[in-house]
Order: sequence, then C-alpha cells, then structure tokens
Amino acid sequence: MISLERYPREITLRDGARLTLRPMVPEDADRLWDFFRRIPPEDKMFFREDVSRKEVVERWAEHLDYDSVLPILALEGDRVVGDATLHRNKTGWKQRVGTVRVQIAPDFRKRGLGMSMIREMRHLGEKAALHYLLAEAIEEQQPAIRAFEKMGFVHAVVYRNFVNDQKGALHNLVVLLYHMTYSEEEMSF
Amino acid sequence: MNHSAWYNVPAWVRYNFTMPLSRMTCPACGADLAYDSHQAEKGPDGKEMCPYLGRPYSKLRAAHDLIYFGKWRKMDATTTDIRRAYHQIGRHLKAIGEVLGTKDLPAARRDLGKAIEAFQAGDPEGESPDSLRFMDHALSYAHTAIDDLLHEEGLPPHDPMEFSKWYDAVEVPFKEEW
Repeated sequence: MISLERYPREITLRDGARLTLRPMVPEDADRLWDFFRRIPPEDKMFFREDVSRKEVVERWAEHLDYDSVLPILALEGDRVVGDATLHRNKTGWKQRVGTVRVQIAPDFRKRGLGMSMIREMRHLGEKAALHYLLAEAIEEQQPAIRAFEKMGFVHAVVYRNFVNDQKGALHNLVVLLYHMTYSEEEMSF
Repeated sequence: MNHSAWYNVPAWVRYNFTMPLSRMTCPACGADLAYDSHQAEKGPDGKEMCPYLGRPYSKLRAAHDLIYFGKWRKMDATTTDIRRAYHQIGRHLKAIGEVLGTKDLPAARRDLGKAIEAFQAGDPEGESPDSLRFMDHALSYAHTAIDDLLHEEGLPPHDPMEFSKWYDAVEVPFKEEW
C-alpha cells in the first residue's frame, strides 16, 4: 500500500495557476468524464477504452483499487485538468514494473503540468518500491515524449506500425523506461 | 554632452552609452549580476534588489543561471571560458548534492546522478569532442534537480528567462513543452 499522506497537495505552475493534486475518489466520476469530453478526438483515438461513454468512467470510479491503478487528478477548483495513473501488478513477474499514463486538458498543455504529473508518478513509484516505470506513447506525441525524456525516461524500443487508431491507421509505438535505482557511487564525484 | 545623440537614440530612452551596465554580487545568494540599472527593481531603501532575494533555493538558482547565461555557450567562447564553466558546473552539482543530502527525494538524487554522469563525460581537458554537449546535459539535469526540489514544495519550476535581464543575455530558447 502506497502512503498517500502527501495528498491533497497544492502546486503552482510557471504562469501562477494554482492546482490541487489528489487521488481520484468515486465522487469524481462526473468531473473526470467532463475532462475526457474535452480531450481532442485525435488524442482519444489512442485510448484503450471509449471514454466518451460515461458508463466507462463510472465503472472506473466504482471499482477504484489504488493497489492496481492509482489515478492522481489535477484540479483547478472543481474542474479536472489533468489525470495521471500508475498501473501496477500486485503479484507476478511484473510486480516491480509500473506503467504510467498521463493526460492533460488542452488548455493546460505547454504550461508544465505534464512535467509536474510525471514528477508525482516518479514519487509514487519510489513509494511503491518499483524498479521501473514504463510509459508508452505514439511517435507523433512528441511533446509528451520529450517531457518523459526530460524526466529521465529513455527510449527502450520503438515498435514500427504496431498500434492502430480508431480509424484503423497504423502508428509507431514508443516505449519509454525509467530505471528507479541509482547507486550512491554513481552520485559521488 | 548628450551621448545618446551620437546614436540617434531619443533622450527619453535614458540610455547611458558611457556606462552601459551596472554590476552587483549579491551577498546573500552570491548572484553575479550585470544589468541595466534603469530597469532594476528597487527596495524600500532605494537600492537595487537582487532578483533572487527571498526565493526558495536562491543560491542554487543564481548559480544555475550564472552558468546558463555564461559565455561558454556562445560562439566566441574561448577554451578558458569553457574550462571555467566546467568547474562552475562541478561546484554547482556539489551544492545541489549538499541540499539533497538533507532531503528524502530519491528521484531528485537520480537526476543529480545523471548530471554527474554527464559532467564526468564532459571534461574539456579530456579527448571528448562532445564535451560541450555533455556539459549542457549536466546543467540541464541540474536544472531538473532544482525543479524537483521546488515541486516538492508546491512551487513553480525555475525559469532562467525570468532573470535574463540580469545577465545581459540575449534570448536563449526555452520553452515548456508539456
């Protein structure tokens, strides 16, 4: 169980906008659905589930299990403007690998929120004693890829024509990996 | 004599070409500043104020910006400029390490580790043709480590461009991407 004592917590973006970060609770279903409704169709093409259907988001809210999927929301007042999730396996061969997904509202992009959300995911990964964080992005999503790289993620592999969007077109999938251990020796002069 | 007339500059611009820049070394954070005194903010005592004053991690931010806006990144940098910057980066990383030594922030320590790795690869005394690139990476990871510290306190990331006018700097591309 990851300690969530640090939430809710306030953050300030470079332009002065003040947001609250906290884990999603069942009562957030409507807010989160509203957030996904505002995501551009071209971004939704790569979602694993059809988030334009309200019942999908309601199902997530009803079945929250932070040990499997921990969603951290960024809120401006009562409005969700960012959603980052840490996906984990409780047992098995990938239990030390966490998968990170981040989605930012269009009007909050290029303001540093994506970087802040990745920082939160790194923190939670540490608290969950993970060894690796993994993120996937379509090659066209260059701003997101650069943000992950700036936060220390490295390209693990690029799968050519690996995934299809909802119209059937194929895209390259970039897998980024963040190694969570670093020896004290490497940190000394 | 009105020197601005030599350059066809209107008098209201108040630009003094005989003494273009003022200089200040902040006793609190060590910032080494070169600036137009007409544009500097002044404190209640009428004296020019160091822009880092009262900001969290002011010493780390000032040290970062001194290197960031340093001559080593310019086309006409000399070998001496580059060597000086390399040693400044080394001292900067050490100072960040001292701050992080008092915090439980493994991700920030990892960013510092990457900065040190790049720093060690970028020694200009060595044979590496990529020395400047490694130095730039070291400074970039150092910036990330400072931002990690600020994020933990809920503060916005450090933006060097906010302080550029204190370093007589021409614009350096810097853009938040995501």
